[in-house]
Amino acid sequence: MKALVLALPILLPLLTAIVLLLAGRRRWRRWLVALSALVQLGVALVLAQGAYGQPPQVLALGGWAAPYGIVLVIDLLAAIMLALGALTALAAILFGLAELPPEDENPLRLPLIQFLVTGINLAFCTADLFNLFVAFEVMLIASYALLTLEADDWDIKQAFPYLALNLVGSTLFLVAAGLTYGMFGSLNFALIAERADALAGTPQLTLLSLLFLTVFGMKAGVFPLFYWLPNSYPILPSPVAALYAGMLTKVGVYVLLRIFGQVLPPDLPLPHLLMAWLAAATMIFGVLGAVSRNFIRGILSFHILSQIGYMVLAIGLFTPYALAAAIFYIIHHIVVKSTLFLVGGTVVVLNRTDDLEKTGRLWLATPVLGVIFLLQALSLAGIPPLSGFWGKYMIIVEGVRQQEWVLVFCALLAGVLTLFSMLKIWNGAFWAASAKEGVHTEERRWRPMAAVAGGMTVVSLGIGFGAEFFLRVAHEAARQLLDRPAYIDFLLRGGG
Amino acid sequence: MKTGDSYIFRSVASFLFFVINVFAVYLLLRGHNLPGGGFIGGLGSALSLIMLSMAYGVREAQKVLRVDPVRLATVGLLLAVVTGMLPLFLGEPFLRHFHWKFDGLPLLGKLEVGTPLLFDIGIFLVVVGVTAKMIFVLFRSISGLTALNPSEWRRYSADLEEPVEREHSRSSSELETEDGP
Amino acid sequence: MMWETAILVGLMFGGACFLILQASFVRILFGFILLSNAANLFLLAMSGRPDGKTAPVLQGGNGGPPVDPLPQALILTAIVIGFGVIAYMVVLLYRTFLDQHTANACELFDPRRERPKEDAS
Repeated sequence: MKALVLALPILLPLLTAIVLLLAGRRRWRRWLVALSALVQLGVALVLAQGAYGQPPQVLALGGWAAPYGIVLVIDLLAAIMLALGALTALAAILFGLAELPPEDENPLRLPLIQFLVTGINLAFCTADLFNLFVAFEVMLIASYALLTLEADDWDIKQAFPYLALNLVGSTLFLVAAGLTYGMFGSLNFALIAERADALAGTPQLTLLSLLFLTVFGMKAGVFPLFYWLPNSYPILPSPVAALYAGMLTKVGVYVLLRIFGQVLPPDLPLPHLLMAWLAAATMIFGVLGAVSRNFIRGILSFHILSQIGYMVLAIGLFTPYALAAAIFYIIHHIVVKSTLFLVGGTVVVLNRTDDLEKTGRLWLATPVLGVIFLLQALSLAGIPPLSGFWGKYMIIVEGVRQQEWVLVFCALLAGVLTLFSMLKIWNGAFWAASAKEGVHTEERRWRPMAAVAGGMTVVSLGIGFGAEFFLRVAHEAARQLLDRPAYIDFLLRGGG
Repeated sequence: MKTGDSYIFRSVASFLFFVINVFAVYLLLRGHNLPGGGFIGGLGSALSLIMLSMAYGVREAQKVLRVDPVRLATVGLLLAVVTGMLPLFLGEPFLRHFHWKFDGLPLLGKLEVGTPLLFDIGIFLVVVGVTAKMIFVLFRSISGLTALNPSEWRRYSADLEEPVEREHSRSSSELETEDGP
Repeated sequence: MMWETAILVGLMFGGACFLILQASFVRILFGFILLSNAANLFLLAMSGRPDGKTAPVLQGGNGGPPVDPLPQALILTAIVIGFGVIAYMVVLLYRTFLDQHTANACELFDPRRERPKEDAS
């Protein structure tokens, strides 16, 4: 039975997608997908509970043991990410159900979301580069299709940078996998980790890690190669955009954590330094882009980049404390960012647009939505005691400890500018005295939509006020991640 | 694109269609322990559909396939996943495969079958379905039809959407009159 | 053999980059096809010399040493995925051409292009 539970995070969305494709446009598919998302969340929570303080759970596909067969490994970090993915997918699906009546929704949207979740979950569970490549491609192909599925004639061109940069990224990933195989004779994480120790400090290993940094940095949206992200996300329908904003870039950050924390040896000063500085640049340029935009989803899309900068900076600082900060920041950011996109979607329904010059009067119409937005925006900017504060605090403490003053300054500056651009949304959408097309509160659907966003806000408040619990989980996940000898022993000689 | 204007090509295509498909099934069956398998077999079978589309036009090829290619691919995927899942209920790991050997069967003699064959059939269907879908969409677009035929249109698009090609097609009457396969 | 392959992979990557940076849709498309093939050739080079080796499947024990199966599997996966993505790209480029009446990336992303009024929704 244990094997079944371990395989469920991948099998469940896959089977759901298949059934949805066969179901065509029947009504019950919406209930099925909501039920499936709920079960996925439950399975992920069970896995997370089982992973705390325990050795990782291993599923050897076809019964072939670790270095030769394909294994799925679920440790605490993977289980946390699975749970967050399931939560975001659940919120996005419920929001989509509230937003559109069944006949207006494209029947391919829900199956494609499930294929996307399959790919994301596989990327979290996998323990070798080959499978990681497959997972990335499943995820990316589903995301290409979702990106253009409901885009209109004018917006569809924004899919080009997305497609092109991700295609180049996939090619570089293949090259990196080839080099890894040439150097270590295996693509299994544990075996690479064992053999990489012998090469620690050599230029080959540095070069390989720089290649990995390029590939996964590109997928995460790190500074020089982020161009695919901020123009393509606003063309998505809002629930799908929430899922993308929450999970898709975080897969890149997760893989950076996995590769640099667990697979490659810890003494890689040059890549870590480079990562930290690129992260600082990402923060600043991302937030400046956000300040320059004047529509809600555009601002939020640029903010994804700036927040990715914090996480990658934490990985670049590379101490157990910093990695725990990165993990905590991921937990916080997935929830907050997807909620903000959901709020943006609700604003579009109420004001018929999200152009900040045409929106307005929302505070009068719906103070509840205003409170939800304000809580999440302040959390994103890092105001205590909301969830964003703790992650930023830990990262800055670590930066001060390592006396990286410029990096600390960049992080603080990005925080202030985040607050500024969030106030811009607040002033434009909630505080402004006139709305060009009026406020359409007579549309009944905005209430369930705001309720979904409110539910996510409760989760986010829980992360902020229950920070001690989540910090303990993050520290434990970082400890498991950095305990490379135990991981290698367990996978190659012990469990498997 | 002009299709169906060569008598020689059409005659050869209708004959070759069967030969290619027999060879595709041969490749499918000899897989697993010899070069071959569902993927390459499926590509072969899809190739025969491409040939038919070129010789007779895409509508004829769709009539030959009869079913919606996306459904074909979905059923194949379901078959492959379920085959992989069966061992889970027996307490074995995901994707574990089983083999049975038979000796002295009438006509066939020695035979070795296993669940990989089911998995391969699933892959075969996925490959045929997906490739046929791509080919049909592209062929339909260049022959002035909408990318989806009316029955697919009902199944895979929202009520508000309009075919992209409607305003660009040379003869809009062709779009209206087409009947589903 | 090693050097020839290395030079060929380099040429293919270079050519692919050159083509991708052009403005015409068709050249961009060919660039990406060339790029994925270059990566596949690179992977093949990583599996060592293929000559004189047999396919990595169970045989009657008459063959020589088999080739390394893992890079082959990786290449096959990459080919399949590349095939799908390229097909997607062809359709995307074709649809953009139909919608926007241009097959030139510079024109497509020209900031002076105005959004047509009728589909302003």
